[in-house]
Amino acid sequence: MERPEIMRLALGLASHATARQSVIAQNIANANTPGYRARDVESFQQFFSDRTSTSMRATRAGHMGGLDAASSPVVTLDARAQASPDGNSVTLETEMMKQIAARQQHDKALAIYKHSLDMLRTAVGRGR
Amino acid sequence: MTNLIETLSIASSGMQAQSERLRFISENIANEDTPGYRRKLATFEEVIRGGEGTGMVRSGPVELDQSDLARTFSPGHPMADQTGYYDGSNVNLVVEVADAREAQRSYEANLRVFDQARQMSQNLLEILKR
Repeated sequence: MERPEIMRLALGLASHATARQSVIAQNIANANTPGYRARDVESFQQFFSDRTSTSMRATRAGHMGGLDAASSPVVTLDARAQASPDGNSVTLETEMMKQIAARQQHDKALAIYKHSLDMLRTAVGRGR
Repeated sequence: MTNLIETLSIASSGMQAQSERLRFISENIANEDTPGYRRKLATFEEVIRGGEGTGMVRSGPVELDQSDLARTFSPGHPMADQTGYYDGSNVNLVVEVADAREAQRSYEANLRVFDQARQMSQNLLEILKR
């Protein structure tokens, strides 16, 4: 069965949020490493449009050109961050804010996924 | 899910490095009055595996602070030289306490990340349970 569009969207949103969370963890772990530059991932808009607009419609995950939900977003260096004298550009406060954003994004994606599942369940007659 | 597991190990590597830093700080404070003691500095470096940065952190080799030792005038001291001075340590308590606070703050940040990644994976598993 082909996965409904909204579920693909939710899946992409969730995997983008976890990838971002992982990059934030790297930044925070290296908050005191000299010469370390803060990193971030591309925006979800970019991540999703890059993978859907150019790819062909696929009826199975294994088909060529389908959206690969497992593919991770591109990691970029945060250019705006100012480096401290030891060359480290991580700010804990900024990372905390990013982390909360990632958390909310993940929660949102999971809520959408859950409700889509409920709708499918109702459709097959096993609703709540 | 693999990203979340990776997040957990990165956050724990951060906590480990920060607690090691706190250990050096406590050594420095304990040895404040040891003659000739040089304060230890914790260094951090990113873990490189297979030529690629993993994002994990580890504490590198210990460095000794090479700044001048405090000279104390005490002619009766067994380690005093001809001028009556002896070398103390170069530990500054104010610096150490500030450093300890910074280590604590970084540790808490890592802990927060760990907790959040754990909760995110738990939320993910909730869907499976239904």
